[in-house]
Amino acid sequence: MHDFEINFEKINNKKITLKEKEFRNKNLKLFNSLGFPNKRLENWKFTDLKEIIYRNFDQLDVKVAVPNINKINLLKDFDHNYIFLVNGNLHTSNFNHEEKSKIKINSYDNDFNYPTSTNSLICLNHAFAENGYSLEIEKNYKFKKALIIYNFFTKEVKNKILNIKNKIKINENSEIHFVEYTINESKFINNVYEHIVLEKNSKLKSLYIQSNKNEGYFYKFLQNKLHYNSDYLGLIFSSGLKFNKMDIECDLIEKNCKCNILSALFLDKNEHQEIKTRINHLAPNCKSFQNVKKVLCSKSKGVYQGKIYVKDNAQKTDAYQQSKALLLSENAEFDSKPELEIYADDVKCSHGSTSGSVDEDSLYYLMTRGLNRDDAIKLLVKGFLEDVVEFVKSSSIKKFVNSKLEDRINEH
Amino acid sequence: MLEIKNLQVSINNKQIIKGLNLTIKPGELHAVMGPNGSGKSTLANVLSGKNGYEISGELNFNGKSLKKIPTEKRAQRGIFLAFQYPLEIPGVNTNNFLKTSLNSIRKAKGEKEIDSLSFLKLVKEKTSELGIDEKILSRQLNVGFSGGEKKKNEILQMKILDPNLSILDETDSGLDIDALRIIAKGVNSSRNKKKSFLVITHYQRLLDYIKPDFVHVLSDGKIVKTGCSELAEEVEKTGYKKLN
Ligand SMILES: Nc1ncnc2c1ncn2[C@@H]1O[C@H](COP(=O)(O)OP(=O)(O)O)[C@@H](O)[C@H]1O
Ligand SMILES: [Mg+2]
Repeated sequence: MHDFEINFEKINNKKITLKEKEFRNKNLKLFNSLGFPNKRLENWKFTDLKEIIYRNFDQLDVKVAVPNINKINLLKDFDHNYIFLVNGNLHTSNFNHEEKSKIKINSYDNDFNYPTSTNSLICLNHAFAENGYSLEIEKNYKFKKALIIYNFFTKEVKNKILNIKNKIKINENSEIHFVEYTINESKFINNVYEHIVLEKNSKLKSLYIQSNKNEGYFYKFLQNKLHYNSDYLGLIFSSGLKFNKMDIECDLIEKNCKCNILSALFLDKNEHQEIKTRINHLAPNCKSFQNVKKVLCSKSKGVYQGKIYVKDNAQKTDAYQQSKALLLSENAEFDSKPELEIYADDVKCSHGSTSGSVDEDSLYYLMTRGLNRDDAIKLLVKGFLEDVVEFVKSSSIKKFVNSKLEDRINEH
Repeated sequence: MLEIKNLQVSINNKQIIKGLNLTIKPGELHAVMGPNGSGKSTLANVLSGKNGYEISGELNFNGKSLKKIPTEKRAQRGIFLAFQYPLEIPGVNTNNFLKTSLNSIRKAKGEKEIDSLSFLKLVKEKTSELGIDEKILSRQLNVGFSGGEKKKNEILQMKILDPNLSILDETDSGLDIDALRIIAKGVNSSRNKKKSFLVITHYQRLLDYIKPDFVHVLSDGKIVKTGCSELAEEVEKTGYKKLN
């Protein structure tokens, strides 16, 4: 049996303040006592991460080199600003389409005031996180072009476990649209803790996508705080990862917020994709909407655990969640667990979950029009995912997303 | 063009077509009339190659047996079925679908793909002929279409794909008289020496607008009577029962 108990020396031999040392040591101890999550935990009901990690990794190291990168390749599909990350570290940024005085971009400035967590991956992150970025948009500024966050990993990350912290803050009346674009060819674990703060009347559209199929095992804990009349949109198109869990917690802390989380995924082979959400309606008059769609082939597995929590004072809450899976193989698995916890009486909340295989009559209809079975299936698959893809309003970005999805579908 | 000899069809161990003979020559339009449940749609499905049927007898198209030919190959060889109940396909844009469909048929024939401009022209011409609002083509295939729009969309596909044998399965059902006229006009303008039609209908009404060369009455899986267009009027007057 492997043992991933991580050594204190990794922390103690650095020159750090006493506070930092205590914080990191405390969290490392917690991690070592909890271990990687398994199915006994409610939040990991369908996924034994411990088993997955033990099966796929013989060793895991937390020390990660950040090599020099001289040349970076940028996407040409649409005009954009960019942040380029190498193994989670901020490498370069470019905001040539924007007023630069409105944007602050820095390496993540670690602080050590986090409350104790029962999530062992967060403990592990607290113990080791050094890398990451922090992005802040000043008041009253609307981005003219999208921002691409290039999330580039080198071969040095192989058999490592990266712990990264990021922070994004959008101040009052500001708007931004970012695309997190991951480029990776290594087998490794990426453990990310990310905060997003949306101040009054601000707006964020975020989109997650992979450049290629890869052996990454990704976990991201995303903590969003939404203030008055702010608007959050998360679009998850991260097909192609070996393992991915997006663990999203949204606090709608003031009135009139909007929170939309959508996902369209095409999973093949042994890929595992999980979306777990907890939407906390903590103030009146907020809207949340979730739509998770997965196409599952061969032995892939898709999980959706969505919880809507409505506090007693959060009247006029309008919350909806649905998940749909299209199973293209008998060996694929889809698990869904919707949950509502409601303490206010004047609310509109609903959920739905369906899964099924391709409709034979629809296939027959398309085939009578000259399409062969494979092409007819592809058309139905793309049609199935379309109502999520359609949320990408920019036509060039939509084209980009579609071409990535088609790559995944055609590789199948 | 089409030759059916002693066709027997069962599904789930239930025999539906019980020895049917029918020959359609190029340029001919045959009408098949019959009560509900007599096997009309089953015949249409068997001709276009739907799975799940147990079939015996002969089924020849242009001199070759159809039996082992899959649905899409039949379409590529020029068999078209206008569905009694066209399916709704969410997320698939009607225009893109029409183009994909036309191109897969052209490709199979060794022709090159149609360019966007010619396709646009073709669609414009056919939609205006059928009185279809072009706007519905930017919507998802049949999703939220009215009954009439769905049926018109089937005929539009027929006109765009330009098949040799068109099978219309109760295209007239549920249409008002104006839509019926438009659809009949669309069919009539496609008729020529080379094209054949098998028009399935429950009522004689459609045949006031589309003049058949032959009328067959199908009852309990067999053709019980064949005649010219007057037969349709007789059926309308006396009902199906008397003919058995
Ligand atoms: N999948 C099926 N399984 C069993 N019986 C069927 C099936 N499909 C059709 N039938 C039966 O076959 C008969 C003929 O149906 P159909 O061809 O649809 O008739 P029509 O189009 O003339 O109304 C009906 O009795 C119908 O119930
Ligand atoms: Mg029928």
